[in-house]
Amino acid sequence: MNYFLQSLKSVFVKDVLIELRSRQVLPTMIVQGMLIVWVLRIASEAVSSAVTVVGPVALWIAFIFSGLLAQERSFAAEHDEGCINGLIVAPIDEGTIYLAKLLVNVVMLSVYELVLTPIVMLAFKLTLSGNIGLFILVLMLGNIGISSVGTLFSAVVQLTRTRGSLLSILVLAILAPMMVPATFALLILFNVIPPELAGTGALAFVGTLKTAISYMAVFDIVFVTACWLLFGFVVKE
Amino acid sequence: MAENAIIAVNEVSKAFTRPVLKKVSLSVDTPQSLFVCGINGAGKSTFLKLLAGLLQPDSGSVFIKGKCLRKETEYVKSKLGIIMHQSMVYPDLTVLENLDFFARLYGVPGRQERIRLLLEQVGLTAFRYDKASVLSRGLLQRLSIARAMVHEPEVMFADEPFTGLDMTSTDYLTAMLSDFRSRGGTVIMTTHDVSQGLRCADRVVVIDQGGIILDRGISQIDPSRFANDYVQYARESA
Amino acid sequence: MIRRILLFVNLILILASMWIALTIGQIRGPQANPDSVVRNIIYAHVPSSICAMLCFVVLLVASIGYLITSKRTWDLLAMASAEVGTVFAAILNLTGSIFSRAEWGMWWTPSPRLVSAALLWFLCVVYLILRSSIAGSADKKARICAVYGIIAFLDVPMVYISARYMQDIHQPSFSFDAAGQRLAFFMSMASIVLLGALLIWIRTDLLKIKNRLEEHF
Repeated sequence: MNYFLQSLKSVFVKDVLIELRSRQVLPTMIVQGMLIVWVLRIASEAVSSAVTVVGPVALWIAFIFSGLLAQERSFAAEHDEGCINGLIVAPIDEGTIYLAKLLVNVVMLSVYELVLTPIVMLAFKLTLSGNIGLFILVLMLGNIGISSVGTLFSAVVQLTRTRGSLLSILVLAILAPMMVPATFALLILFNVIPPELAGTGALAFVGTLKTAISYMAVFDIVFVTACWLLFGFVVKE
Repeated sequence: MAENAIIAVNEVSKAFTRPVLKKVSLSVDTPQSLFVCGINGAGKSTFLKLLAGLLQPDSGSVFIKGKCLRKETEYVKSKLGIIMHQSMVYPDLTVLENLDFFARLYGVPGRQERIRLLLEQVGLTAFRYDKASVLSRGLLQRLSIARAMVHEPEVMFADEPFTGLDMTSTDYLTAMLSDFRSRGGTVIMTTHDVSQGLRCADRVVVIDQGGIILDRGISQIDPSRFANDYVQYARESA
Repeated sequence: MIRRILLFVNLILILASMWIALTIGQIRGPQANPDSVVRNIIYAHVPSSICAMLCFVVLLVASIGYLITSKRTWDLLAMASAEVGTVFAAILNLTGSIFSRAEWGMWWTPSPRLVSAALLWFLCVVYLILRSSIAGSADKKARICAVYGIIAFLDVPMVYISARYMQDIHQPSFSFDAAGQRLAFFMSMASIVLLGALLIWIRTDLLKIKNRLEEHF
């Protein structure tokens, strides 16, 4: 246990240090996110009633695509100088490497969310009506879900010529189911769907904020566990 | 096969699209320096990777210090060091940070003292605050050696460690390896530079077409004929 | 030999079930157009969905099998089931789309079963793309695909649950009352599932032969 925490911490600290040194990924992510949000905002201007509905969608789309940038880098750095072999020959469990990388990606995406969420809210005229704690919880659950699959497949795509584009189809295909409750939860929290209507048949969506959040939590648990257990198979040569 | 052999390889096979290694066995009973040679594609890199646990054999098993590589992975891995032609250090970290990271990963006690000593040995003390990306090829390879030795391994695998090194760095590397060897370590090395390999080795193994065709002490071979064409030599003396 | 017999039997079964479906098993068309045969497409639609699901189960089993044993056959079985799964998922979505257009007036709409069916197809296609893009040893390739196979399978129950957040238009507007309809349904189910199994079997063997050829030349 002690060694697990120590090795987890050393890989985590190392990756954060590399990102702070190179300052490559986070600025790109933020600019990309702003561009995605901006494009969707001007495109949705045609129908002014649609603007608030597009907001949460824009938020998740931006998170997914910018998350891909962070995830792709997280193993590209290991493959450049063959460092991944250095990690494999060390007496560290592969699952621990996965968890450390996942943590790094979650932290990067959190910093990104901190910057981008207010921008989305301003651009799409969204006001938070629900509990801010629940709002942060939804963002974090989405964040972990996005990072869990992306971190696993990032190790996979390093062996391909198409890297980033392959990663994007892998991640999008697996994440698709989560996007329904994730968007639904934000629609309620931003009061785009009136809370009293949630869970009734009057809407295109049926369900409540509570079920949406529990779905996201289950999704995260299932995929983090599966990826953690399976990571050893993809990383070994 | 001795129970307490340092390395014991039992009939390992490995195929990619076609078989690369076919039931190769090898035993190293006492600390020594082993020079593995073979033409390109003979399977020497694959062999080394199998020994280091970077590849899983299709069949057969590898024992290091009497422990199975597959079953007691953590123990075995803590005894291994590896140098490859890729440096396996992070370009964005400094020399010191790189060594510190790997020392933490191996849980090395007395980390700072150990790193200070290593830096002196490889002659990188003056460069310790430089990023690895600004180091020249030779200095980088020295850092790579220090990285491999940071946890004081007992077995060292070196895959083409001399590639792209100048005279000074080659001397450093040779000195490091022979020092490691004299302190009871075992070195298994591949290189295309046969004369360089022979200089460092106690024992020579020739791999050809997926099998070991010659396995002999350095004193039992004719160095000049061996260096001239070792495959031919191995076939004749087999 | 046994495979040829089975294929022949399968062919007869398929022809027979088609014939029954269009005669005694015929389902009357929607109220606006009662003479239309469009609803008969569910004799192909429902079995395809079952078949696509079964392919996914085979993919899961084969993937786990490979990760445990590292036997090449498991990997080839996984590959074959993903390919066959792609075909059935495509049929599922196409027939579903035609049915949807006739019944509800739109080619596609986000509704639980439609979303799930579409994701099934996406997951299969991504498997095939992933497989063709990885460089490296056959073993590593197989391991990566097996891991994806397991993760993709986990995604299926997730989409079934999450699609429940949407309004369902996919209500069966009729049931199989006549004995002829039930017979037609049963026969088409049996014949298409048998077809799926045979396709996986043949494809696996073909891949094995291809594999052996690559090893030798």
